[in-house]
Amino acid sequence: MAEETFSMIKPDAVATHHIGDILAIFEKNGLEIVDLKMVRLSKQEAQNFYSVHAERPFYGDLVNYVTSGPVVAFVLKGDNAVQKARELIGATDPKKAAPGTIRALYGTSVEANAIHGSDSIDNAKIEIKAFFPSN
Amino acid sequence: MKKEQTLSIIKPDAVEKNKIGAILSRFENAGLRIAAARFLQMSKKEAEAFYAVHRERPFFGDLTSFLASGPILALVLEGENAVLKNRDLMGATDPKKAAPGTIRADFAASIDENAVHGSDSLENAEAEIDFFFAEDEVCAPRFALKMAQKGGCGNHSCGCH
Repeated sequence: MAEETFSMIKPDAVATHHIGDILAIFEKNGLEIVDLKMVRLSKQEAQNFYSVHAERPFYGDLVNYVTSGPVVAFVLKGDNAVQKARELIGATDPKKAAPGTIRALYGTSVEANAIHGSDSIDNAKIEIKAFFPSN
Repeated sequence: MKKEQTLSIIKPDAVEKNKIGAILSRFENAGLRIAAARFLQMSKKEAEAFYAVHRERPFFGDLTSFLASGPILALVLEGENAVLKNRDLMGATDPKKAAPGTIRADFAASIDENAVHGSDSLENAEAEIDFFFAEDEVCAPRFALKMAQKGGCGNHSCGCH
């Protein structure tokens, strides 16, 4: 079933010039880009976005990291988009990510792991709405 | 060499063919940094305003209809000689005449559906960037070209620095 998921290229992969490489991986695997914008998140926006992690020890670092430079936020559409995007992205820790996944290719650490992807259809809807209110 | 900014548009045909990533890679691999990006659908009126310089040309109607025919990705590219470098990467307007390895040779189908637009001069680049982007939407993580030229971010929440 065609569904939508949210993804965000993080400051490390923007700075290393891998925006096109990452988008091409999704497009070659049957996921269509249906919305996109480059933004720099404020601290408040990043805190809201990651509020589910507010109690976790890494929360402060995560917020600081994701506000350290511009990000590319986008919406992917296709069959099983949430699950398919997660498979293409790979494990959170690039060292544990399967070969050929985005994080194995372009991530450098658990923090600077190149990309975020929604972990469920429900969260995809929330994240899409947060970045693209008119979507 | 001087750092410049130029405007690029990935047109409806290339968006439809899922070539956004492939085209952005061409820019990034050639040393052009993406400094702003926005996906949007233009109305016919907006397309006419954007291409107003071509208003008297015979192809104006087709050109603007095509630009408004589907979603596009508007981009600001930044780097040394960005205007000319982008034009070299795009290739000739007619894909049949575009040099091998250029974006139009590889991704464009016809002179109308030619995958990308790029500013033709530094002067037009500035006007075209202003058409699509507010100043604080153009992100410059390593150097703040336009803001610096205009004396900094002032009272804006200069989000991209």
